[in-house]
Amino acid sequence: MNTQKLTAASLDQLAADCAAKVPKNLIRVGMSTCGIAAGAEAVLATLRRNVAARGLKIAVEQCGCAGMCYAEPLVEVAVEGMPTVTYGRVTPQIAGEIIEQHVERKLFVQDYIYTVKVDDEK
Amino acid sequence: MRNKKTIFLGDSDQQGREKAVYEALAAAVKAESLDAAVQLVRVAETGKAGQGVVVRILPENIDYVQVKPADAGRIIGESVKKNKKLEDLTPPAKVRQIKIVLRNCGRIDPERIEDYIAGEGYQALKRVLSERTREEWINEMKLSGLRGRGGGGFPTWMKWNFAYRMDSAEKYVICNGDEGDPGAYMDRSVLEGDPHAVVEGMMIAGYLVGAQKGIFYIRAEYPLAIKRIQIAIDQARSYGLLGERILGGDFSFDLQIRLGAGAFVCGEETALIASIEGKRGCPKPRPPYPTVSGLWGKPTVINNVETLANVAQIILRGGAWFAGIGSPSAKGTKVFALTGKVKRSGLIEVPMGITLRQIVFEIGGGVLKDKRIKAVQTGGPSGGVIPEHLLDTPVDYENLQKLGSIMGSGGMIVMDEDDCMVDISKFYLGFCVDESCGKCAPCRIGGVQMLGYLRRISEGKASMEDVDKMERICAAVQRASLCGLGQTAPNPVLSTLKYFRREYVEHIKERRCGAKKCASLLRFTIIQEACKRCGMCLRACPVAAITRSAANVYTIDPAVCVKCGKCYETCKFAAIKQE
Ligand SMILES: Cc1cc2nc3c(=O)[nH]c(=O)nc-3n(C[C@H](O)[C@H](O)[C@H](O)COP(=O)(O)O)c2cc1C
Ligand code: SF4
Ligand code: SF4
Repeated sequence: MNTQKLTAASLDQLAADCAAKVPKNLIRVGMSTCGIAAGAEAVLATLRRNVAARGLKIAVEQCGCAGMCYAEPLVEVAVEGMPTVTYGRVTPQIAGEIIEQHVERKLFVQDYIYTVKVDDEK
Repeated sequence: MRNKKTIFLGDSDQQGREKAVYEALAAAVKAESLDAAVQLVRVAETGKAGQGVVVRILPENIDYVQVKPADAGRIIGESVKKNKKLEDLTPPAKVRQIKIVLRNCGRIDPERIEDYIAGEGYQALKRVLSERTREEWINEMKLSGLRGRGGGGFPTWMKWNFAYRMDSAEKYVICNGDEGDPGAYMDRSVLEGDPHAVVEGMMIAGYLVGAQKGIFYIRAEYPLAIKRIQIAIDQARSYGLLGERILGGDFSFDLQIRLGAGAFVCGEETALIASIEGKRGCPKPRPPYPTVSGLWGKPTVINNVETLANVAQIILRGGAWFAGIGSPSAKGTKVFALTGKVKRSGLIEVPMGITLRQIVFEIGGGVLKDKRIKAVQTGGPSGGVIPEHLLDTPVDYENLQKLGSIMGSGGMIVMDEDDCMVDISKFYLGFCVDESCGKCAPCRIGGVQMLGYLRRISEGKASMEDVDKMERICAAVQRASLCGLGQTAPNPVLSTLKYFRREYVEHIKERRCGAKKCASLLRFTIIQEACKRCGMCLRACPVAAITRSAANVYTIDPAVCVKCGKCYETCKFAAIKQE
């Protein structure tokens, strides 16, 4: 773990470094109590396995509850050059399709998108 | 791939009508030879309701509503190809969720401080430590109009100002993460989803009031929240954001976690403090308020999780920005856990002053199975029900109180015609009776008595006189109880009586429960004309209340029947009547 003690100036530097490091290609899985209860762990494992097996350049991370508990497990997918979307009620099978269709072929998977991110709705 | 457009479409009412529009759009795309430049995507959810098929075109970010297959040609030919907006399909401005508290929830990895820092994290702390005086920052909080989100709605700046003005070398700030209301999980989600925002709020509160220590009080039933707050504290410490001489200045502050054992009353601030001190979690009379004499007798600020999660944003964007959101008496947003008979249940964050109807129908998507809405319950066991005809009331602290409910911490339950109001008040009152600490007589004894009357009403054994007696006890318990638990415990009873008195009368005079929820008032009988003599019910009945006569006629003995409903569910021929 880090042992650098921040000062006002180095906090800003760290913020800039961290912001620059946020991957352009990123999959996030909601891993709060509600997501885990709905099966998010299996979905996360499937995504990680597929990304590793195919050697894809996309990060897979966990995140908190986005509020749409009825649609868990939720998976947000950001691929450079495509709008960021959130898939809901994702099963390991749909997770496989997300990798194959969305990440590899740059085509959205039909019928499982719950939100489409637009710039003014940060 | 460069200028590729995406057309998302979905049915805002989940009736599958997007399929036909999809086909029509696909044909239009083909006709214009745009196959390579456009992807059509059917979505599961549109975030809208009652607006037919909804289309969103990206990257232009154009929304169309009430789209029919016949509109496909125009959408592709004019809007997509020639960038001509179709005014007749453009929706009017709608209510929107505003995410301040939930800003990072679901957006960052809560176990990585670097994610938080990358998105303005700890910048508010830096500004508070380096710019302006404490008085000026407290004044900024005053300007924001932020009020406590733990239920009481006390102005946050005022609480901080009291503690700041106390002359004491030792002061504390406490984050109240007890969240005991049944059905509420707003605070849990914030602690789990954006722990550093609450940590930063605590640090700012600590600095402004002059405290050196802060304590997270989190119920033990929230293991993931506890884990993530602990990780956040450890990470902040490793970066020197907690501990000695924070950010190289002269502010020193540290945080620790204490676990609550899950008693509802321990969410009350004086009981919570007693619990941290290792005493029994019983409330104490106030004054003195915790800001004067709190933890270990020292000035203490207690704030709710959601209150604290607003703080850094107010510092960064200014009090005036925050005050620009919401209603005249309540600023900013409120997070609600929207549950019950609503299509889209979950956490929502909406501006104060929004109406309940907008919440249920525009954000929640309406009532499950499109049944009739009966009421909305807010405030959990301390709150009440708001009937359908008052759903246009703007949500704020005072309005809800006037209606006999409270804002509370944010539980919001939608009820339809299948919910029985006697049953609901019995549930909430039963909760308060179980959770009463027993220290004062009005709550301890009055609660049990009220519950006794409610039980008799639900069993059809009460008279109208009992209702009068119950109302008198309610008034006494409200007035004479020591803490908020007792003072508000009668609210569910009184508000259901106020708006749904006829349901009580129906239970008492007709011995009937319209919603078929009160088991004792149910009667199961066999409709002989429909009965096929299969004998399934006889086998299903756990108490042998069903008998078969020599003439092969099945009957239910009401004296033996325990109204479990098993026979009703089992019969394949709908030959069992439930009334
Ligand atoms: C019975 C009872 C239970 C309470 N439970 C909670 C709770 O779980 N969380 C909370 O923040 N406040 C709870 N409160 C309110 C607290 O006493 C206190 O007002 C609040 O934590 C102050 O924070 P705020 O000003 O930020 O709202 C409860 C009050 C009562 C009477
Ligand atoms: S009102 Fe109830 S919970 Fe509160 S102090 Fe009295 S007995 Fe205890
Ligand atoms: S309701 Fe239950 S107890 Fe009564 S007759 Fe049917 S199965 Fe037996």
